Amino acid sequence: MSRKSSKSMHPYVPELKELLRNGKFSRRDFLSTATRLGVSLSAAYAMAGGVLGLCASTVARAAAPKAGGILRCSMNVKEMTDPATYDWSEKGNLARHMTEPLVRINKDNLAEPYLAETWEASEDLKTWTFKLRKGVKWSNGDDFIADDVVFNFERWLDPATGSSNQGRFSSMTRQIDTGKKDKEGKPVMSTVAAEGAIEKIDDHTVRFHLNRADISLPEALGDYPALIVHRRFSDEGGDLSKNPVGTGPFTLTKYSVGEVAEYRRRTDHPWWGGDVYLDGIVYIDHGDDPGPTIAAFASGQIDCNYRTSVEQVPSLKTIPNLVTYETVTAQTGVARMKITEAPFDNKLVRKAIQACMDHTKLLELAYQNFGAPGEDHHVSPIHPEYFKLPPLTQDYALAKKLLADAGYANGLKVRIDCVANPTWEQTAVKVIAEMCRPAGIEVVINIMPGGTYWDRWMTTPFGFTSWTHRALGVQVLNLAYRSGVAWNETSYSNPEFDRLLDEAGAILDPRERSKVMKKLETILQDDTIIIQPFWRSEFLTATNKVRNMYCQVASESHFNKVWLG
Amino acid sequence: MIIFILRRLGIMALTMVVVSVMLFLLLEFTPGNVATKVLGPYSSEEQRTLWLEAHGYFEPLWVRYFSWLGNFVTGDFGESVRFKVPVAEVLWPRLWNTVVLGFWVFVVMIPLSLLLGVLAGMREGSALDRSISVTSIITTSIPEFASAVFLAAIFVFWLGLLPGTSTMTGGFDWWQLVLPVMVLVIYDFGYVARMTRASMAEVMTTPYIRTAILKGLPYRRVIMRHALRNALIAPFTVIMLQINWLLSGVIVVEFFFAYKGFGALLLEASLNQDIYLIEACAMVAVFVAAATQTFADIGYTYLNPRIRFS
Repeated sequence: MSRKSSKSMHPYVPELKELLRNGKFSRRDFLSTATRLGVSLSAAYAMAGGVLGLCASTVARAAAPKAGGILRCSMNVKEMTDPATYDWSEKGNLARHMTEPLVRINKDNLAEPYLAETWEASEDLKTWTFKLRKGVKWSNGDDFIADDVVFNFERWLDPATGSSNQGRFSSMTRQIDTGKKDKEGKPVMSTVAAEGAIEKIDDHTVRFHLNRADISLPEALGDYPALIVHRRFSDEGGDLSKNPVGTGPFTLTKYSVGEVAEYRRRTDHPWWGGDVYLDGIVYIDHGDDPGPTIAAFASGQIDCNYRTSVEQVPSLKTIPNLVTYETVTAQTGVARMKITEAPFDNKLVRKAIQACMDHTKLLELAYQNFGAPGEDHHVSPIHPEYFKLPPLTQDYALAKKLLADAGYANGLKVRIDCVANPTWEQTAVKVIAEMCRPAGIEVVINIMPGGTYWDRWMTTPFGFTSWTHRALGVQVLNLAYRSGVAWNETSYSNPEFDRLLDEAGAILDPRERSKVMKKLETILQDDTIIIQPFWRSEFLTATNKVRNMYCQVASESHFNKVWLG
Repeated sequence: MIIFILRRLGIMALTMVVVSVMLFLLLEFTPGNVATKVLGPYSSEEQRTLWLEAHGYFEPLWVRYFSWLGNFVTGDFGESVRFKVPVAEVLWPRLWNTVVLGFWVFVVMIPLSLLLGVLAGMREGSALDRSISVTSIITTSIPEFASAVFLAAIFVFWLGLLPGTSTMTGGFDWWQLVLPVMVLVIYDFGYVARMTRASMAEVMTTPYIRTAILKGLPYRRVIMRHALRNALIAPFTVIMLQINWLLSGVIVVEFFFAYKGFGALLLEASLNQDIYLIEACAMVAVFVAAATQTFADIGYTYLNPRIRFS
């Protein structure tokens, strides 16, 4: 395996610049790929500027910031015990102002260096070296060092921790036999950290040895359960709310779960990221109903919210002095069919349902046209490797014929499970059901509380599952459609698909990768295991005195550079 | 009297045990759920199994129930799944907030409804009676979720006079209490006023009131000395029952105004199947229901000589 010296650039970078110069690569693709190869974000912006003849200062420069003030934000104040087990972005936001990730996904959907200053990959993309930022201090006075990162990784990969990071970094795990047998006499396997996967090179360098190429490692480090806690986190109680030690610019001063979380700017040590303008942040819990948030805006009790649901956008526009920020994301929902369960084991049935769909209309009716129509293959137009396939069209004659061929000439009745909240999910399901009706397919909708749905999301024959934003298309396909993986909710198993996915996962150039993606998208769309209505936009709202605010693709609160005008 | 109270307490304890067993059976039947709730939908089967094992979920159901019951009577209510803190830590402050809300509702509602009820009942069929009765019927028939929206539209969105939410994050604030209290009072005063009116009207038709009027006592004195004492016995019971109603009735108001009380907590716990929290909330609710009833019975006995001396 060849490895470059830490000072050299990845050999692919010059070629990238050439592609940008020739116009074969968009600026966004260039930035995304270059940063993944370890070029710092500012250097990547500068390179792009140099190639395209733009000045680097076109990167957002707003008016002079004003220091002071407390930002009041409406968000559910959930428990925040252990970042490794977080399952909601709200929890990530509660911890984010104190604990920080190695890599952060910025507003352009790019992986930006955070506690890791640079990173680089070997040519086979199996060895990744992360240089950690120097001069970062924990709020307890300790220096931030490689031991902190090693501790976090070892904890994440330990099955007893119960962290979703174990799946996120599965390329660093291996299966072992526990020696126990299950009821059927099969050995019980356990997933643990692969030996030697995490290597400390020195106090500020960590190297990861993966057992397969993984181009999405930096993006995975930007997910909210990958916030880095102090190396003695477990020894000191393992509860962030009680022992809020972090590297971030704020410290927790008041926390009452379900009610309020307050932070004040740290004064013990300057933040490594430079100036922080806010004196403090307060999250106020207004419950699950959006009504109180609107009332709180109207009576000036809050400055911003964490997320604005699509139904709220019109009503918030009627309140003066409010600005609603929108961002197009790769967040979506899929009406997925379990192909091992009747009648969805019959491809003709699945194709008949697909033939009933008008995706453009679905977006319009169920999500007020904020987003992009889905194409039933779970690769988003904002993914760098996306390949545009011919659009799907609604064809009831075809649907009826397919249904008759499948043996349901007199119609078919199926049941779909979906969650009650957020409401766009049930709205999407209702529109899908209406679109199926003319072809003689009756879709009975079973709306249930979130908790109940998540108990059966893997087993129900027909269910509507929401999927969060992921920066790369291959990430999603690996998580949801590869044979036998933990979240393969459709039970899809296609060796050819898996092979192509391996191939795509080893190609760094998104243009080259999109050629393989074309095949992958075609296979998925043709096998019709999901009906994907649309890609949806995300929103947040703030008063016009809140400056430098934006809606991040995964609803992360990025407040370190926000100020109040 | 002591036997009566003891018997009441015994029934109360029995009710609580029955409710707790029913809830436990309903909520704990599938332990897999609990692990999914704690570790999230994306946890692996192995991770969930390990969590269940670590938290004693593979013990038989009755062992878990009795260990929970043992802890419960010693004041340890278990840990909330949603909040990951001991139940008592969230339950007591929330209950106290509801007590504060309920107290101010009563402070406004009781004098108002008694006054209106008495005024209406004094002269049955008069213009005053008609207008009070119609108002009471109208306000009582508008549910809280409708009046809350209506009042918020006027005082928050239109006039901008009152705060729209009552989270009290910056400490106790009288202004934030106005709308929740107003909504609850508007919904509830009509009912109590109607009951008082009926009771008053009934008393006014009794022979001793007629005698008092006919013997020439001033009307004011007839009402204050003779009618009121007897007319207020029935409303007393009704008011005691309102405490019980408030505990569940506040759910809508607390949810709407984001007031951090017991009702909102119960709702959140139920939506998230937070078993120990639901159990504790249910125990509190049963206790309050049984205790207010006992108290009402005792009070009624004291107020009504016919029962006291029988």
